[in-house]
Amino acid sequence: MIENRPFLAFLTHLVLIVGVVIVVFPVYLAFVASTHGSGDFMRGLVPLLPGPHLIENYSFMLNEGISSAGAPPLWIMLLNSLVMAISIAVGKIIISILSAYAIVFFRFPFRMVAFWIIFITLMLPVEVRIIPTFKVVADLGMLNSYPGLIIPLIASATATFLFRQFFLTVPDELMEAARVDGAGAMKFFRDILLPLSRTNIAALFVILFIYGWVQYLWPLLVTTDSRYYTIVMGIKRLAATADSEPQWNFVMAAVMLAMLPPVLVVIFMQRLFVKGLVETEK
Amino acid sequence: MATINIVDLQKNYGPVPAVKGINLSVEDGELIVLVGPSGCGKSTLLRMVAGLESVTSGRIEIAGRDVVKAEPAERDIAMVFQNYALYPHMTVRGNLEYGLKNRGTPRAEIDRRVQEAADILEIGPLLDRKPRQLSGGQRQRVAMGRAIVREPAAFLFDEPLSNLDAKLRVQMRVEIRKLQRRLKTTSLYVTHDQLEAMTLADRLVVMNGGLVEQIGTPTDVYDRPATLFVAGFIGSPPMNLVPLSAFSGADFSALPPNTDIVGIRPDALLLERPEGPSVTVEAIAELLEPIGGESHLHVKLTGSNQSVVLSIQGRPHVDEGAALTIFARPADLHPFNSATGRRTDDPATA
Repeated sequence: MIENRPFLAFLTHLVLIVGVVIVVFPVYLAFVASTHGSGDFMRGLVPLLPGPHLIENYSFMLNEGISSAGAPPLWIMLLNSLVMAISIAVGKIIISILSAYAIVFFRFPFRMVAFWIIFITLMLPVEVRIIPTFKVVADLGMLNSYPGLIIPLIASATATFLFRQFFLTVPDELMEAARVDGAGAMKFFRDILLPLSRTNIAALFVILFIYGWVQYLWPLLVTTDSRYYTIVMGIKRLAATADSEPQWNFVMAAVMLAMLPPVLVVIFMQRLFVKGLVETEK
Repeated sequence: MATINIVDLQKNYGPVPAVKGINLSVEDGELIVLVGPSGCGKSTLLRMVAGLESVTSGRIEIAGRDVVKAEPAERDIAMVFQNYALYPHMTVRGNLEYGLKNRGTPRAEIDRRVQEAADILEIGPLLDRKPRQLSGGQRQRVAMGRAIVREPAAFLFDEPLSNLDAKLRVQMRVEIRKLQRRLKTTSLYVTHDQLEAMTLADRLVVMNGGLVEQIGTPTDVYDRPATLFVAGFIGSPPMNLVPLSAFSGADFSALPPNTDIVGIRPDALLLERPEGPSVTVEAIAELLEPIGGESHLHVKLTGSNQSVVLSIQGRPHVDEGAALTIFARPADLHPFNSATGRRTDDPATA
């Protein structure tokens, strides 16, 4: 759009700025709250400027945590979330790229049936199958463990579907050229298909990492041992204290820390993602 | 360096036959062009030789070895694809090396062959570029380079020039011919472009409907088309096929029995009476197309309304709608039988 219409420019900027303020303000409030002392919220007036207790609050939460709420130090919960989110993202990508490869490049009986079964599971969110899944995980003795947190969430119909769509755009001749060049099925996958999928993998990793990071209901169900609490469900426990007022300054410090890794992943992977988009071409 | 023997080769897609029993033997160092309209089975035949398509029945021998059950990589062939099929994420060098690496060729040997191929094709300066940084013609060269470095028993070309513009196509056609002469590698080349076929081939294989219509040198096929299909397919503009009934009063007793249709090349039809005996026919001029050095004159034969094209040197002055007398030498008539579709003056097929 090469137009010079000052009023329109002003209006679009205004709308954008208002939008940004609406989105950013609560985050700013959370940050401000995490820098104050514990008594500052009892006055009924929410402070709008950062307080002096930033380092104190964060180091307290990271190292000790609110043990009265049954929560471990924050670094344990952050680590648990990180393990869970990365394992889910990596696991989902490995499983779905392999299943998409099988569905697109091999002719086997019931190939389309397999695809449709995968596709149909798109319609079943975790919450719908949560009771049978819990039963299975409990019977396998995987409660309060990393595998229990990760494995039930590791298959992804969405990612399989996306990889399938991408593989369908790869010309058959590429596979045939590789066959003439002496590349077998797995060699073709490793040498040709995987490098071509780089951008898709990067994009999916961002999405799936965040999906794993924000899991709430499932970790809440399968973990009763505080050593396996994840950060997102942990925040809930921090806020739900029985008799006293929640210590908002500490809760908000936890919230800020919980937000950080997804933001970092987006910022870091975005660069790779855009770079990949510019560099490769089918 | 090898011969290719194809014996009674058939291919069905489900109940639909695509290739209906083909016999062909390619001599060592020969360039054979498979030509025919879309869907005639020429690409399927090539892909079966490459091992990319399974064989329903029959035998394929490369260098005397039956390869029907062999993987493409085990057949010692190299293929050039229509869309080049270069690996987009690898450099030109990576593309050339890939097949050699997979076969465990020693590093020094790989480098020598890549350098050699790059020199032959003049793509040395491009070795470190990615395919998307190359023009169509350069990609085509790289695709050929990938075939050359393997030093295979045979090259297989699947319409390699059809993605290029007309000018580049002519240029690459010449280069492929020179290259093949120089390397003396047995080659099978598929195309639907009859000009490409005529200029490249040592021998032509004209295919139609999953069968071979004729095998022969380009001049053989042009001068003595074995069937009506070949007569109509090879040559531009195509040969005129005129039923004998369209000629009124001409004496055809010299033609072999069973002849009911004759083929006449557009350039064998004359507006002036030639020396010696001739066949004459009356016609009305319909349209004159000057195309530079020659002109195509479309006429309608009086009495039968049969359309015929004449190819005339220079730019004759003929008014559209004018009545003409057209002459042809009896020796230029190709006699056919419309029921069998075959030539009637060929002792083998009469």
